[in-house]
Amino acid sequence: MHEEDVERGPLDGVRVVDLTTSLGAYTGRLLSDLGADVVRVDLDGDRLPRPGVFTEAGKARVTAGRAGLEDLLGTAQILLTSEGPAALRARDLHPEDVVRRHLGLVHVSVSPYGLTGPYADRPASDLTLLAAGGLLALAGDPDREPVRPWGEQSTVIAGAHAAVAALLALLTLEATGRGQVVDLSAQEAVAHSLENAVQCLDLEGVLRNRAGSGPLEAGTGLFRCADGWIYLVGGLGGRPLAWSAITEWLLDNGITEAEALRDERWGERSWRRSPDAATEFRSMFERFAVHRTKDELYEDGQRRGISIAPVATPADLLANPQLTERGFFREVTVDGRDLVFPGPPYRFAGSRVGPRSTPDRSGTDEGITA
Amino acid sequence: MTTGLPLEGVRVADFTWVGAGPFLTKPLADHGADVIKIESRTRTDPIRSMAPFRDGRPGVDRSGYFANRNSSKRSICLDLKHPAGRRIALDLIVRSDVVANNFTPGTMKRLGLDYETVRAIRPDIIYLEMPMQGTEGPYRDFRGYGLTIAAAGGLLGLSGYRDRPPVGTGTNYPDHVPNPLHAAVAVLAALRNRRRTGRGEYIELAQLESTVNAIGPAIVAGAAGAHPERSGNDDPVAAPHGVYPCSGDDTWCAIGVFDDAQWHALVAVLNAPPWAALGDLAQALDRRERRRELDELIAAETKAWDADDLATALTSAGVPAAPVRDADGVLNHDPQLAAREHWVWLDHPVMGPSVYDGIPYRMSRTSGRLRAPAPLLGADSHDVCTRLLGMDDKTYSELAREGVVG
Repeated sequence: MHEEDVERGPLDGVRVVDLTTSLGAYTGRLLSDLGADVVRVDLDGDRLPRPGVFTEAGKARVTAGRAGLEDLLGTAQILLTSEGPAALRARDLHPEDVVRRHLGLVHVSVSPYGLTGPYADRPASDLTLLAAGGLLALAGDPDREPVRPWGEQSTVIAGAHAAVAALLALLTLEATGRGQVVDLSAQEAVAHSLENAVQCLDLEGVLRNRAGSGPLEAGTGLFRCADGWIYLVGGLGGRPLAWSAITEWLLDNGITEAEALRDERWGERSWRRSPDAATEFRSMFERFAVHRTKDELYEDGQRRGISIAPVATPADLLANPQLTERGFFREVTVDGRDLVFPGPPYRFAGSRVGPRSTPDRSGTDEGITA
Repeated sequence: MTTGLPLEGVRVADFTWVGAGPFLTKPLADHGADVIKIESRTRTDPIRSMAPFRDGRPGVDRSGYFANRNSSKRSICLDLKHPAGRRIALDLIVRSDVVANNFTPGTMKRLGLDYETVRAIRPDIIYLEMPMQGTEGPYRDFRGYGLTIAAAGGLLGLSGYRDRPPVGTGTNYPDHVPNPLHAAVAVLAALRNRRRTGRGEYIELAQLESTVNAIGPAIVAGAAGAHPERSGNDDPVAAPHGVYPCSGDDTWCAIGVFDDAQWHALVAVLNAPPWAALGDLAQALDRRERRRELDELIAAETKAWDADDLATALTSAGVPAAPVRDADGVLNHDPQLAAREHWVWLDHPVMGPSVYDGIPYRMSRTSGRLRAPAPLLGADSHDVCTRLLGMDDKTYSELAREGVVG
């Protein structure tokens, strides 16, 4: 394989025009990672809120007027936007009109609720989309209000689905020469992330509600340790997992009352799922864990065949031996700032893939300076 | 017969099971790929035995958890440890464009189905592995599930109330969002590259690395010296911003106020309560400073509102708002999802009509569709062996009798 092939990336030759807000910004980032030429266009006189730096790696930045934008769209295969239909229409960027002007363009429209329907133009945010799509109702403690996950996950959910859709449409475009509209609803994307909650209701009439950090089962869940928490899976669905290994682990470390965990009732679903069982296990395990760090417990437990994980902080991840040995983190320069980024979600043996620095393209491409 | 779907003509030899893998091959199948699940009768996919079940009765063909992630696919059962079973698998791979698995590292090698072996018979194959931690490195053999990947990957620790331990998303989030979707992106990009260059690809998606990207901004910030932490429903900019109680049991409305105009609109919708007129709430920074107090004052007002009425009033006035929908809400009571026909009912031969997640996007020319309900275990063994692989009926019957196939 030639080195230049590796450098080019699997989406070499694809140009993407990115007009997204934070809602759709991850899509262009994923496409840039894969070698597409992603151009973020700041429209003259327009003040779209600028997404955070994480989604902007690798994207070229240009300012253009309407005519310049249309010229650029004539050279692109994909247009990304993430506003509702009325806002797009006000800019003369409604997808129906855009693909009529540019027959060979895929307009990937990520929008809060999709381009049609009674809520299509409702104002929205990450929190309201997680609520509208049903994910928020599953998160939190039962005695408190539902609570959202960190990091605007609706943008990850919608952005990743939109990247899948963009590539499906690109395959069609390159096979037939014909562009089209992709109409992605962030609400629907969130509703695609509810695990089995909708099926539980349909098949068993059971409504899933928020249940804290996990199901109530002895040996499963968060446990305190010397420097934070670990997550232990000592049982799934009422069945014990590596139970004897966990028992021996405690016994080997002087928790003598763990002998009781050999009693056969710990194999019974009804006992394992009782509050008494969970409390009894917790008191034993935390007496052991409180003197040990997340990393000690992680490495020791895993070597005994136990499913245990540290509740990692960003600092923990930056020092994680697995990630550092694999060279996961990358240094990139985005809009003049030198930053450390997580590497890409995947590695290609035959192509260079991952976050890239902002390209320097001043005066290199007439399509860009239009 | 042509389907007109984007992946018509693409075949996937799908060795994935449980959570993340099957949700990767589902969008491929729903967009026209012939996805053939290779399953085992003796060691069935664990998710076939996970609730919910039709009428609560367990059975390998009764799980909605399994069905929802396996629409539009076919299923064959093979004994991969039997030489004849392995030969059939290789025969299938030769006729496939993509091979996918999410086994622990080394499993495909032990089965004689590793990338080097496969590439020798199908040089342009796109071969995807989804190990937990990666195929090499000091933790390569560490095990886990969706929830432990969320913990190790940083999402769990950052998600929850400020004053309590982490709670996360309440789901096995990595299995439903970052890992399957990132994997689908990778496979489709590799397919595109192969169509241009003729080259296949080996793709390794370490589920930990994929999941860390879901909190990518926290890593960038952490590396720059910041310490991102749990912040409940607070927003770095917006205030008030949160989930407020409404009339009825456990009923909530999510509201975010991002600028002064939205603040004035919120006050107007709440009928201008006296506290809202206080001068020290006019500035965004002051509202943010006093957000805890504001949350209580707003909650006292919203308790009298129906959540849907409040969201309608607020969004009509330009304020981002939405009722907190539970599964019943999204399935049965959301006018927007209903108008978009999001949910799909498919008539499954054992489960009967049952609900599947729809595709969250429509394509104006080549929209995907859930073409068939999830396959019964081994439903397509005979068809795949005889029609696709050209096996004669007699050989098939003998292999079926030996338990190699079927």
